[in-house]
Amino acid sequence: MIRMIFSLLLCAACFWAAPRAEAKLSVVATTPDLAALASAVGGERVSVKALSSPAQDPHWVDAKPSLALELSHAELLLAVGAELELGWLPTLQLGSRNGRVQLGARGFLDCSTLVDLLERPTTRVDRSQGDIHPSGNPHYLLDPRAAERVAVGIGKRLAELDPEGSSLYLERTKAFVTSLRDARARFQKSLEKLKGRPIVAYHRSLAYLAEWTGLVVVDHIESKPGVPPDPRHVAELIALARQKGARTVVQEAFHPTRTSQLVAEKLAGKLLRIPGATNFQGGQSYVAFIEQVLKQLTEGV
Amino acid sequence: MSAIALAASAQIARAEAPVTEPAAKPAAPDLAEIQAALAADQAAADPQATRSPSPGAGVQSLNPDIAVIADFALAAFSDPDHHQTGGHDPAENGFNLQALELSLGSAVDPYFRFDAGLVFGEEGVELEEAYATTLDLGSRLQARAGQFLTRFGRLNSTHLHAWNFVDQPFALGRVFGGDGNRGLGLELSWLTPLPWYVELVASATKVGEDATARSFAGEDGVEVEGPDDLLYVAALKQFFPLSNDWSLAFGVSGALGPNGNQDGDRAEVYGMDAYLKYRPLKETGRTELTLQMEWLLRRRKLEERRSLDAGGYGELVVRFARRYALGARYELGTPSYDEHGHVVDDPLDPEWSSARTRVSAQASFLPSEFSRLRLQGSRDSGFSKPVWAAFLAAEFAIGAHGAHRF
Repeated sequence: MIRMIFSLLLCAACFWAAPRAEAKLSVVATTPDLAALASAVGGERVSVKALSSPAQDPHWVDAKPSLALELSHAELLLAVGAELELGWLPTLQLGSRNGRVQLGARGFLDCSTLVDLLERPTTRVDRSQGDIHPSGNPHYLLDPRAAERVAVGIGKRLAELDPEGSSLYLERTKAFVTSLRDARARFQKSLEKLKGRPIVAYHRSLAYLAEWTGLVVVDHIESKPGVPPDPRHVAELIALARQKGARTVVQEAFHPTRTSQLVAEKLAGKLLRIPGATNFQGGQSYVAFIEQVLKQLTEGV
Repeated sequence: MSAIALAASAQIARAEAPVTEPAAKPAAPDLAEIQAALAADQAAADPQATRSPSPGAGVQSLNPDIAVIADFALAAFSDPDHHQTGGHDPAENGFNLQALELSLGSAVDPYFRFDAGLVFGEEGVELEEAYATTLDLGSRLQARAGQFLTRFGRLNSTHLHAWNFVDQPFALGRVFGGDGNRGLGLELSWLTPLPWYVELVASATKVGEDATARSFAGEDGVEVEGPDDLLYVAALKQFFPLSNDWSLAFGVSGALGPNGNQDGDRAEVYGMDAYLKYRPLKETGRTELTLQMEWLLRRRKLEERRSLDAGGYGELVVRFARRYALGARYELGTPSYDEHGHVVDDPLDPEWSSARTRVSAQASFLPSEFSRLRLQGSRDSGFSKPVWAAFLAAEFAIGAHGAHRF
């Protein structure tokens, strides 16, 4: 029996190992946005997997052992960083038994190091302020300018890990940056329209989007990050939003809608649910995702 | 050993400037080109570039991550002579300190991380765990060394604050002891290269005392004269992502060790565990349903006869909103039987001469990820008469955000 199991395992190991000999560089990204960027920059030389889907709040991903398995043969792990994946990624890294993707290894890229984070606390913080991120706000991928920096950083890291492909990575990085800048040029008119418009957000996840588009986040449905809304705060929020003329509630699709719907009704406006991330599995590109978000905003706000 | 040497040489190579990969290396000039090409117009178009450069994430320190988790309970038993078996179960009418856990953990160097857990109770401090884990052993292997909870089944390797119910299932307390099976030793685990998650775990540990290796320790503990005097645990763990919403973890485990009588006899424990989780991805909020069960079979020699007993639990927990959950648990423990089905006296549990069942229900309120209030009620069939119990338990965690296991 034991011998049978052993030979079975050995067999499987051979099958598993064989196609990997000439495999592409294996990149695993914690979120679909990062996966889309890596795929844009790495092209055919890399295989990219995302550990979460746009329907999931990246703070609350289950550390499923199957994800550790995914990570066990990764050569590059891309994380958003700034404590976003703190509740689940360390478990997966340790469980993967893969030295290449541990903290401090070259196969681990914390992409928050590539951008300048907003809302970096300047005074002492603690959890009485909610789910705080001591390193700053991690939702920077809603700003294409930050995404550009991340794409360049990923391109550089890919070139380090796979020097033979460096010219390809360079070409593709340039092409991606160009397409992103072209898109931004196209967006100019929409951005002018959005500039200065007040909105209500659910979580502190729209800071970068607001900075880029010029939208003004009046306040959040959550009184503190990660803390479910309470009635008193919501009442104050409605009064404030009225005063500032905000009518639209904007939030990622994975946030609860009941309170947001109520607030939107009270403001005689509407609830706008933007996708939580690039639909990478469905083949969407990051540029298409940003375009979709902007289109929704210009039509809805 | 060779893995560490290899890793070390890689580390050195890394430190020596950009001479990293033996392959063609046009990387450096190309990268410079990317940077130069992008930097010029970036400054113009990108306020990100004009913002002050990152001063590094907060205050850096090389201190380990520190967390303190406190569990308090208010308890009421219908009979002070209850049969709670868990070392951190509420045991007295009135207020109980279940545990105050201080956990520390950090990477030691690029090759190891180290974790320690100290538990402060009303009677003193115990070292719960203190072990090093390899980070890069290679060949999909991982080793742990030190004092650790063995990975028998599902609940044994976890701490109080990871449990859904306030008390430990009695099957575990009866077989492994109130603190769960742990000891000084060595563990090796292997993530097999199969297309689905299959992990094999094997450990050898020193047989501790009644609270940590109950079926193996006997009254005076075990003096090690040879390999037969150690406790061996093996486990096979599998995971199946059935769909985006449903997941199933399934494991089988075995523990083999001396039976504490110093007569060369062995005690064997076999276990199976299953964990089914439903968490709809498409839904906002945090709806969750988990079904968890563990069943243990123990074989020993009692009164010169081979004897066998079984026990386990099944629990269902439904989290129907972000802050609220309800759970129910059923437990069963049989007496020890010989080959002919006759009940045998068990010197460890002389009262356990009939089947014992316990049914518990709990309601949880979770203000945040770091605090939790639970109300739990149970009816224990006991041995002579039933015991009713009610607990109101509060848990608070401060410090480093621990990563959750699945």
